[in-house]
Amino acid sequence: MSVSNLLENWSQFRHFHPVDDKPHDPYKWAMSIDLDACSGCNACSVACYAENNLPVVGREKYAHGHVMHWMRIEHYWDEDVGEEGGREFPDQGAQFLPMMCQQCEAAPCETVCPVGATNHTADGLNSQIYNRCVGSRYCEANCPYKVRYFNWYDYPTTDNVWPAEMTQQLNPDVTVRGKGVMEKCTFCVQRLNAAKVAAKSEGRIVHDGEVQTACQQACPTSAISFGNLVDPESRVHKQWQAQQVEIDKEKQAKDMQEGGTELRGYRILENMRPYPSVMYLERVRESAV
Amino acid sequence: MHRFLHMSVLLTGLFAAAIGFAAESPQPVSMTEDSLGPLVEQPIDFPHNRHAGDADKGGMQIDCRYCHTYARRSAVAGIPPLQKCIGCHQSIESVRETPRIKKLFEYWDAKKPVPWKKVHDLPDFVRFNHERHIKRFVEQQNRPVQEACGYCHGDVKEMTVARRSKALSMGWCASCHEKDHPVTAEGGTPIGGQAYWYGFQKPAVADASSGALKAKGPNDCWQCHK
Amino acid sequence: MIDSGFDRRDFLKVMGWGGTAVALSGCGNTSIEDGKETVVSYVEAPDYVIPGVGVYYNSTCAQCDAGCSINGKVREGRVLKLEGNPASPINRGKTCGLGQAGVQHHYNPDRVREPLLRNGDKGETITWEKAYALIAEKLKGVKGEEIAFLSGGVSGHLKALLGNYLDSIGCKNHYVYEALAPGVVRAANKKAYGVEMPRYNINKAKVVLSFGADFLGAWVSPVHFSQQYAQFRKGVDGQRGVLIQVESKMTLTGANADRWIPVRPGTEGILALGIINALGTTSGEIAAAVKEYDKARVSKETGVPPGHIDKIAALLKLRSPSLVLVGSAAEGYAHGSQNAAAINLLNHVLGNIGKTVQAASSVPFPQLSPTKGNTAALKSLNDGLAAGKFKVVFNYAANPVFTAPGAMKFKDNLAKAGFKVAFAHYLDETALQADLVLPLDSALEDWGTQVPEYLADGAQINIQQPLMEKLHANTRGMGDILLTLIKQRRADSYKNYEDYYAYLRAAMLQNKGALGGGGLDEDAFWNETLTKGIIKMSGTTVALSGRTGASGLTVPGAVECDEQYPLQLIPGVNISLRDGRHSNQPWLQESPDPLTTIVWDSWVEIHPKKAAELGIVEGDIVEVTSRTGSIRVQAYLFPGIHPDAISIPIGQGHEALGRYAKGYGVNPFQILDAIYDKETGELAMHETRVKVSKTGQRVIVVKDESAAGAKQIREKIAGRMSTDEVDLSKEV
Repeated sequence: MSVSNLLENWSQFRHFHPVDDKPHDPYKWAMSIDLDACSGCNACSVACYAENNLPVVGREKYAHGHVMHWMRIEHYWDEDVGEEGGREFPDQGAQFLPMMCQQCEAAPCETVCPVGATNHTADGLNSQIYNRCVGSRYCEANCPYKVRYFNWYDYPTTDNVWPAEMTQQLNPDVTVRGKGVMEKCTFCVQRLNAAKVAAKSEGRIVHDGEVQTACQQACPTSAISFGNLVDPESRVHKQWQAQQVEIDKEKQAKDMQEGGTELRGYRILENMRPYPSVMYLERVRESAV
Repeated sequence: MHRFLHMSVLLTGLFAAAIGFAAESPQPVSMTEDSLGPLVEQPIDFPHNRHAGDADKGGMQIDCRYCHTYARRSAVAGIPPLQKCIGCHQSIESVRETPRIKKLFEYWDAKKPVPWKKVHDLPDFVRFNHERHIKRFVEQQNRPVQEACGYCHGDVKEMTVARRSKALSMGWCASCHEKDHPVTAEGGTPIGGQAYWYGFQKPAVADASSGALKAKGPNDCWQCHK
Repeated sequence: MIDSGFDRRDFLKVMGWGGTAVALSGCGNTSIEDGKETVVSYVEAPDYVIPGVGVYYNSTCAQCDAGCSINGKVREGRVLKLEGNPASPINRGKTCGLGQAGVQHHYNPDRVREPLLRNGDKGETITWEKAYALIAEKLKGVKGEEIAFLSGGVSGHLKALLGNYLDSIGCKNHYVYEALAPGVVRAANKKAYGVEMPRYNINKAKVVLSFGADFLGAWVSPVHFSQQYAQFRKGVDGQRGVLIQVESKMTLTGANADRWIPVRPGTEGILALGIINALGTTSGEIAAAVKEYDKARVSKETGVPPGHIDKIAALLKLRSPSLVLVGSAAEGYAHGSQNAAAINLLNHVLGNIGKTVQAASSVPFPQLSPTKGNTAALKSLNDGLAAGKFKVVFNYAANPVFTAPGAMKFKDNLAKAGFKVAFAHYLDETALQADLVLPLDSALEDWGTQVPEYLADGAQINIQQPLMEKLHANTRGMGDILLTLIKQRRADSYKNYEDYYAYLRAAMLQNKGALGGGGLDEDAFWNETLTKGIIKMSGTTVALSGRTGASGLTVPGAVECDEQYPLQLIPGVNISLRDGRHSNQPWLQESPDPLTTIVWDSWVEIHPKKAAELGIVEGDIVEVTSRTGSIRVQAYLFPGIHPDAISIPIGQGHEALGRYAKGYGVNPFQILDAIYDKETGELAMHETRVKVSKTGQRVIVVKDESAAGAKQIREKIAGRMSTDEVDLSKEV
């Protein structure tokens, strides 16, 4: 029965979304991050650890690259800083880039899972089903943003990850992952589900601002905007519209204008055509000083 | 040659298994060897039959939701707090000295909760929401409570302590989600694309006679898997 | 299948496998477990407690002293996650990483659970009765001046009760110590504005010129300032705010600046005077004072190109109001007060007073107002300990054995004290030196009130209430401990309060009217207070006054180079670890430092030019030696630092404090010289001079960034737009 379901809906499971005659309705979750407001403080990252039962791997495993931060802040200097012939100091500051699963509409990870553990949901998220995952790690290899994280060890039974009492902090709405399972940012799907249930019981859809992801809720500068892209009243929808970024294009009309664009909104690695659901607003620097 | 034969027989066996799975079953797999759970011994041998059972069998016909109040407003149905039991039993003199009630009051006097063993224990990676199911079947479709609760929990009013009598496997749940149910909101009108929201990419089907919209239950993985 | 050596037996075997596959698929398709787990139900539950649905309670975050209000999600009797309380004007629903990690302070496996009495090298568990009796015994006959009470900053009712207790035992030696405190800034503000901490309206400024104030990172009230910063970037009158940061080592705020200006360490005051000179708008006394600070001289002494000075002055003149902040970097010097005076003068000259520097609110209950910690207190205490003055020493919310500069020899001096009592959550370095350790309730288990130093929108009292039952049966709240102790001396005055909760409630109800509850009955007022989590009060605003002149304003020139110790050590303040009190919270250890992305370790930031001179590459273990001592630490090439300075973050190098803190990194406090600001006596943290030498060892630095070293190489994914290229007008 499940195999027939899989075969019947193969095109939807593996397809570029939204599929033409079945648009995302009534929800398409998307995000917009203002890089000019992002101060790089890492509050979002710690909030994500708290909300989603992320294991702390410790120093040795971190050195091996096994860190599990679903939301990470990437830090960049300008290319010429510290180089031969370049500037001696980063006198225009640094760039901070919060990076997490971009919930791509044509996700490269979805197509390569041998067991169908990662699929696209009706509300526009890239799902990751832990108990289906067998740990081939093909999805991680395919992800251009490298935002998928693999459980190389059984963290629940590893010393000092969740010693007694710290297990009481675990969020019961999120699975605690065992060994051999891939995980990634879920746009706090547990919160989305709870909000949808509450709204559905009242006979309506979720209003803008009613549900917040953990990172969005913590961010002290409110750099993260999250909401329903197909709700014309939502902030996220208005931002995408104002920035003239359309989710199903790999080259935005505004970028093809002569002289480029004066608008800040862009998506990362857009030209690779994963059609990410996260838009970034480029950082700004004052020209007068 | 040898290896080829081994492989092909093994693969044939595997395919047979897979096909066995693939056969579309419109009815939920009601009774298999998995359906009947073990008889779980509880700290107090609570008689559901006495409380929820029919009057002609000596029961008090108490609505499930009187005790399991959380079902209509939470993901879990919940075990009632001890004060719910004491609420009635503090004034029922006729059974006050029976062994089970004495044990109940021991817990109450010590202010310790009864350590009930969990039955119908879904795996940790599954998210099941009672509230939505009660809202849909009891409040919107007006099904009798015992039929709605009993669909998954079995005929509890014939049991003492609860014992699982349905498979509660993913296939079992999904087979019900494969059925068409009327999709209405308050007042009977569906809201926007809500019908669509249920079935992943499956549009609602209009019933020829009544014109009421129907849709299947959610089959989006992340609805039920955490 | 001709002649393959395949016989009947093999056939059956293989069929068996195939058959098993079929059989396996036919059963065991359920993962339901029955009877394995226990459901712990409630005995009595209020109506609003629904299993599966979280109940939210407001409290106050205690991870730093900014006093953000938090909202704790509690499910089935345990607190799971902390969010910000939207009703607080300080944080308005937001939290920082520290706030999120508050649950790890609470659930930490290394919390002290029992009162411990020293027996040789070990701590033996004793009962609370014995512990209290022991304290009474040790205090008997001891004169007030022989007792010392060391604490961190205190406020609210705990401060009042503590004051009363110290009074009851005659102790006049209350040392309020914070390892990181804007002590010099407070003193300078008092002189320049009339108040120690005015309101800084970052969101009303068009330009913020910050001399080392890391307001987005770890300075004063970062969550509040971050929110103001976001508004600041959106702009006053639609014009985006400009941030200029002047410092010797790049802080998080510096990384977000439109223009980051590296200055020679200690010369920030000179630059400030140079900018006043370049503005050319002053006359009289001030003009005379800055006459000597022309561009050429200032540029030579600070290392800032004259063109920059011009641009800054031009921008400040054009865009008003602006805001000039003086922060830790400016006050880390022996002439820090003079630096701060010069920098504060800029606000006067630019006319920011009353606009972006505004009157602070005062709390109508001065006995609840915060007693702020500083580092001068540590010196007094240390001197007293060295002289063998103290027979009894109490320690609460301070860890001076870890944070005192090595040159003070604090640990040795502490050993001279008679009987040492530590009120502690964990066995940190200072608690390990104590004779008696009393275990505290965590911040999420305790009652209290808190008044922050930096008040956002008017006066407020933050309420702290337990978010769940105590985790460990034998810990006690600090308030309860003090109440028991004070009853040893003043039983009559306190006999009506069976515990601190009763004391707190009574104290609040007594002032119900002034706290805004005039029309409510007692229970309603109390419940409403707990529900809201904060009490907003109408305090009077203390007007700004202060000297606007420049009389007596001198700023020393740049320090000559010390041949033996050529580099200046700047201890870095990391947003997560602060003064090291959170190093035992694993989320924070695993949270990469925003500027270097290094985790679980220390590092020394060296400018690439200087590193090339010394032949140092990333990962080299170098020995950093000061006059006081030396430590070994891995090198990290960091372009955001003045070549004459190096920086090692504080907070690591613990020798105690639990499994997540002990043994990671090094503690730069150990090699700090004891040099103090001449005017205030505050520790001048950046005055230690060091030399760096290679040890020949090299390690791989454990960090989050790639080996490409924070460069994007080919594909640009995070760029920048200049304000003259971008159109911000249509943004949402």
